Amino acid sequence: MDRFPSIVLAAAFGCFAISMLLSALYPWAITDAKQPEASIADVAANITEEFAELKRAYPVSFRQKLGDAAAAADAPLEAMQAAHAEALQRGRDLYIGEGCWHCHSQFVRPVANEEARFGHIRTPAEENNALQRPVLWGTRRVGPDLTNEGGKRSNDWHVAHLHNPRSTSPGSVMPGYTWYFREGFQVFRRIDPNKAEVAGIDPDTAYPYPGLYDTEEEARAALETIKANLDPTVAEEGDRLFVREAVGPDGDALCIIAYLQWLGTWFPEKPTEE
Amino acid sequence: MSEAAAISIDDVRDEAHPLVDKDLVRWHLIAAVFFMFTAMLGGFIASLQFLNEYPFNGISWLSYGRLRFLHTNEVAFGFLVNSFVGMLYYAVPRLTGRRLFNRTLGWLIFFVWQALVLLTSIGQLLGKAQAVEWGETPTGFRPGTFELNYVPVDFLIEVGAVLLAVNLLYPIAKSIHKRLYVSLWYITAGMIWLILTYVMGNTLPEWTLAGSSGGATAGLYIHDLVGLFVTPFGWGLMYFFVPIILRKPIWSHALSVIGFWALAFFYPLNGVHHFLYSSIPMSVQYGAIIATIAVEIVVTTVVVNFFGTMWGRGYALRQSIPIRWFYTGMVFYFTTCLQCSFQTTLTFQEIIHFTDWVPGHAHLVMLGVFAFWNMGMIVWLWPRLTGHEWYSRRLLGWHYWLVMLGLLIMFLDLTAAGLVHGFMFKNMAPWMRIVDSLKPFWWFRTFAGAMIITGVSCFIYNLWMTAKHDKPYDYRVDLVHDPKEAIANG
Repeated sequence: MDRFPSIVLAAAFGCFAISMLLSALYPWAITDAKQPEASIADVAANITEEFAELKRAYPVSFRQKLGDAAAAADAPLEAMQAAHAEALQRGRDLYIGEGCWHCHSQFVRPVANEEARFGHIRTPAEENNALQRPVLWGTRRVGPDLTNEGGKRSNDWHVAHLHNPRSTSPGSVMPGYTWYFREGFQVFRRIDPNKAEVAGIDPDTAYPYPGLYDTEEEARAALETIKANLDPTVAEEGDRLFVREAVGPDGDALCIIAYLQWLGTWFPEKPTEE
Repeated sequence: MSEAAAISIDDVRDEAHPLVDKDLVRWHLIAAVFFMFTAMLGGFIASLQFLNEYPFNGISWLSYGRLRFLHTNEVAFGFLVNSFVGMLYYAVPRLTGRRLFNRTLGWLIFFVWQALVLLTSIGQLLGKAQAVEWGETPTGFRPGTFELNYVPVDFLIEVGAVLLAVNLLYPIAKSIHKRLYVSLWYITAGMIWLILTYVMGNTLPEWTLAGSSGGATAGLYIHDLVGLFVTPFGWGLMYFFVPIILRKPIWSHALSVIGFWALAFFYPLNGVHHFLYSSIPMSVQYGAIIATIAVEIVVTTVVVNFFGTMWGRGYALRQSIPIRWFYTGMVFYFTTCLQCSFQTTLTFQEIIHFTDWVPGHAHLVMLGVFAFWNMGMIVWLWPRLTGHEWYSRRLLGWHYWLVMLGLLIMFLDLTAAGLVHGFMFKNMAPWMRIVDSLKPFWWFRTFAGAMIITGVSCFIYNLWMTAKHDKPYDYRVDLVHDPKEAIANG
């Protein structure tokens, strides 16, 4: 009895304390302690081109998730920054909850030609921000590293890939995240039949206009607006506009893509030299 | 009841004053086996994703990513915690001559714990997981705020672990023996480490430390959960069960104490070796590498001690299925730790990090060592808990061989896949070429998983039929001193 509290407790608490000192407190003291953690507002201040494009291409989903203030065409910078911050945080939460980080690392190592394959190697300062709490280094690479994913591929590529990875990367074993897509009605324009014949493509080919509407009426109203705003010289194009059912990314998918397009685009301010 | 009588082996089945609460032990083992099966089934289904044969495409809460959380978390918190707690409720009263602190508390912990494991799995299937490996248990708060968005499972688990410590440490503190046997050293320290580790790993990286220092603590958490919770409980119980079955004391008590102290000192220093070449300061990474290699020396002392105990009782491997599970586990334990001391070097890390080598290693540790030990202990204890002789010894053999060979195939297959991945990666092969080259290995992995699940199904059927049928277990076997007779009939 008298031996129990002293020696075994000393082993348990003492050894644990030593390990915390050497493996947690010491690395913290010589790296992250020297600089305050960057907030989500800091890392979202610089809006990526792709985020602005997501707003133009998917206006309805964007407004549903990120609010009217940011969705307006002439939204002030502050509103866009706030929406960007929200999208990054939401995108990061989904990236965690879906376990993306089990198969995609965010950890380029200075060996095995990783720098040549994946690019820039992060420093401790670049990882000391609220979106890296907890840090998302990952566990295993069934898919490629995403440290510097931002801007590498287009939004359209990401939308198609998220819906069915095999459509952009044949042979991929990634699941399709179809529950982040919604069904609705969208305006399309059929290709000019003469041009289709010349180019040798299917005359039924059609291109979508931005905006996936929940009801057919909304889509028809959008069609009329597009028709009314067409340049008079190409007014006959209006006859080739039509509405049909379509599938597109919902607000959550936009947040995931905004997060992926942000990765590797933010760098902490370099200290100014005196 | 005198104190001397309290440790008599007879007392275990004294109806009036049971030293061991057999119902509590039995229900913990039933829960453990249930979660072992669901976790394995989750892992098996998840493996189908790698073959592009996934059955639940498009169903968010059954998708691959979320099912993988369930696989690892149920193994740790559903299977191993339940099984260890059941075994400790058996071993600690036997070793100390004292009953648990409170029987009702034991049942309360049992029901609350099962609810927490289920809530963890449900939360993860709903997409509320956290991003620390094995700390994916939902915190219940939106990160960084106090907005509640789910049941705060993390916090409840911490409270549960403290209550469990009260229940288990009380009999140890009140032990009728002057000296503590080495099992109790491991169990006491392991109980404290479980609480400390869980609190550390589920708060620091998510709430306070961002970036590389958070990564260092996350590495510490992954490693401590194996090294400071699973390992001490596992070895503590091996030190208890092996001498009982072999009818002889442990070979060297001095070695067992050296093993304990070296584990306590070196094991917690290993954490950072999970993230070599990261932005954690290099001095810390080198320290972790050296500590990892030091652990191998410790492991050797422990394994030598157990093989020394086996000396002259080799026939037990053939006759006693629990001993077969235990010693197979020890061989695998030595293998994983030897592997560790190589794979922790920067040379190996360059090739194998982020490849299938790592899950190969993880399966060898968690299934090949700790699940094997727990299954062995269940095999030994189940007739004594139910009072029924095993329904079929033949099925116990099938269980052993299917699971053991399945694991061996899985380990060799994933290790080879890891090397293929690592070298193709370094040689700048295009990404999809690497994925295509791994597909045959992934088919083998699923096949090995099917073998393991079949073996475990035999086991579960056997457990069920043993509980149901009416051939009584002959408790007199436990009182036999002659090792030949005891091992042959035990």
